[in-house]
Amino acid sequence: MTSAAVQDAPVPGAAGRAPAGLPRLLPPVRGVPEDLRAHLNRHGRPPYRGGRGLLIPSVEAAGLTGRGGAAFPVHRKLRIVAAARGGRAVVVANGAESEPASRKDALLLRVAPHLVLDGIQLAAEAIGATDAHLYLHPGTGREIMRALAERHAAGIDWLAVTVTEAPPRFLAGQESALVNRLGGGPAWPTFVPPRVTERGLGGAPTLVQNVETLAHLALIARYGPGWFRELGTAREPGTMLTTVHQPGGQTQVIEAEIGTPLRTLPTGRAEAGTQAQAVLIGGFHGTWLPAGAAATLTLDNETLQRHGATVGAGVIAALPADRCGLAEAARVTRYLAAESAGQCGPCLNGLPAIAGALAELAGPGPRRATRQNAERWAGLVTGRGACGHPDGTVRFVRSALAVFAPEIGLHERGQCSATNRRPFLPLPDGIPTTEDDWA
Amino acid sequence: MSGTTAFWYASRATGIVALLLLTAVLVLGLLVNRQGRLPGLPRFAVTSLHRNISLLTVAFVAVHVLTAVLDTYVSIPVSAGVIPFASSYERFWLGLGAVSFDLMLAMIITSLLRGRLNRTLWRAVHLLAYVSWPVALAHSIGSSRDLQHGWMLYLGIACALIVAGATSWRLARAARQVPRAARVATAMARHLPSYASHHPRERISR
Repeated sequence: MTSAAVQDAPVPGAAGRAPAGLPRLLPPVRGVPEDLRAHLNRHGRPPYRGGRGLLIPSVEAAGLTGRGGAAFPVHRKLRIVAAARGGRAVVVANGAESEPASRKDALLLRVAPHLVLDGIQLAAEAIGATDAHLYLHPGTGREIMRALAERHAAGIDWLAVTVTEAPPRFLAGQESALVNRLGGGPAWPTFVPPRVTERGLGGAPTLVQNVETLAHLALIARYGPGWFRELGTAREPGTMLTTVHQPGGQTQVIEAEIGTPLRTLPTGRAEAGTQAQAVLIGGFHGTWLPAGAAATLTLDNETLQRHGATVGAGVIAALPADRCGLAEAARVTRYLAAESAGQCGPCLNGLPAIAGALAELAGPGPRRATRQNAERWAGLVTGRGACGHPDGTVRFVRSALAVFAPEIGLHERGQCSATNRRPFLPLPDGIPTTEDDWA
Repeated sequence: MSGTTAFWYASRATGIVALLLLTAVLVLGLLVNRQGRLPGLPRFAVTSLHRNISLLTVAFVAVHVLTAVLDTYVSIPVSAGVIPFASSYERFWLGLGAVSFDLMLAMIITSLLRGRLNRTLWRAVHLLAYVSWPVALAHSIGSSRDLQHGWMLYLGIACALIVAGATSWRLARAARQVPRAARVATAMARHLPSYASHHPRERISR
């Protein structure tokens, strides 16, 4: 396989004209779901390439990266799984967006299910898959089942797709947890190696891609890498779905061009007197930045990484000035600690200790040592879990301690700058506490 | 103490300290394995103690081997530190020392690479501790006149008894099978007092 001859022209058989500008993934009429007929009118049938590996050069030329949070180059995973011997390969579309602050995958599955399902089929052909799966939360199941029935009737699928529901846990969408769940077990992460691309579901090499990634792939297959690169930056081409939490409390899923200035998203604007004090970028495993600093940045990893942040799965939450950042950080950390799978000691014991320290910092008159303890414990759990949960939690905690440092000083003197005690960041109701929660 | 005997004394001293440290590492390893605790220490501290003392032990063993090689009273090649039975002086007993040291290195290297190895392999190599420690004790008693009588002998016996006791404790104490939800809830309740009041008591184990 070489990428020497990359076809940039629209593929014959694709009925639609390449869409210019935004949005690409979401339907032109906001919020109206596209059934199969509307989808085929807009984009045509999935342009199968007729053999394993043939789509991969286009994906590589497009520079598509995973939209589940890790931004891993898609063509590399495709190549690994396509090249694996043994005659079996599995493709899994991961729609189990377990991040409570993210809504983009649920929205995409609801309004553009066929783009995701096209992506599954095209990726399945590209890796020579023998099995295709879609993993999602119960809330999006109905639309998907309807879409699958429509496709079955029209006979456009290459491979039947098995739909599996994810348990309502933060780690349920983690790659190895997902493979365990699809295998009939609990959604617990396991140690790598082996990576699921080498030995995944039932021992077969497994390609796990976020549903948004697959939707982009379905568009690249139709309109080519040149079209894909018309938006985005040279290093990070394309668009991405973001979930924007505005300081006024509204939440909106926005398809944004990568590299777009953060201040153009509706987070930095003063709306009805609600000004943001800090912005959480990348979700609960993400990074807090002061609102002033965030307003100067753009939505791409190249820029954000210089400030210790990543776009992650596209969550951008602007904390209004009238709330206590420490209280928010403490609530989220407590949630994250309770979401430990309880497998690795540093995570099982360390995260509750850190959550306890944050709870103290969020209250009146924390002890002077508490902040140092939180910092020290954060250092102790980093890099010591089977999955990235401790590291992601620590990233969140450390950035909160830095951004809300002045607030810690106030609390130590028995004061708090907040005038509104209502919780801001969304968390699921209650904390699951039974063994069945993982299956 | 003249200059010529300094290495000899240093080698004996680091050797006996290494044996004591190795005993501590083994006992701590057993504690980690069965989720035991030390008074006043959180569980993760027991794990770090196990890890750090094992690294310290290697440093002591390295000095122990090096000083034995540098001492000119008997000639021991440096290779005898890692290649078993490479020394003509006390071939068998020094050979046991090299065997024990090699096993320690295997355990440490696999532990440092643990993130890149599969768990079964790491565990299999780590079980070699049960070979490495007795071999190290045999090396200590066999190659050192000091350990064959008097209080040093009692020290060696005490180490053996401690290891035997700890090993039987490990065998007697079945691996704890606490349900995960209870494990997490217990850890949460320990650090967040308000957590306990919001969750059913039976989920929180002692």
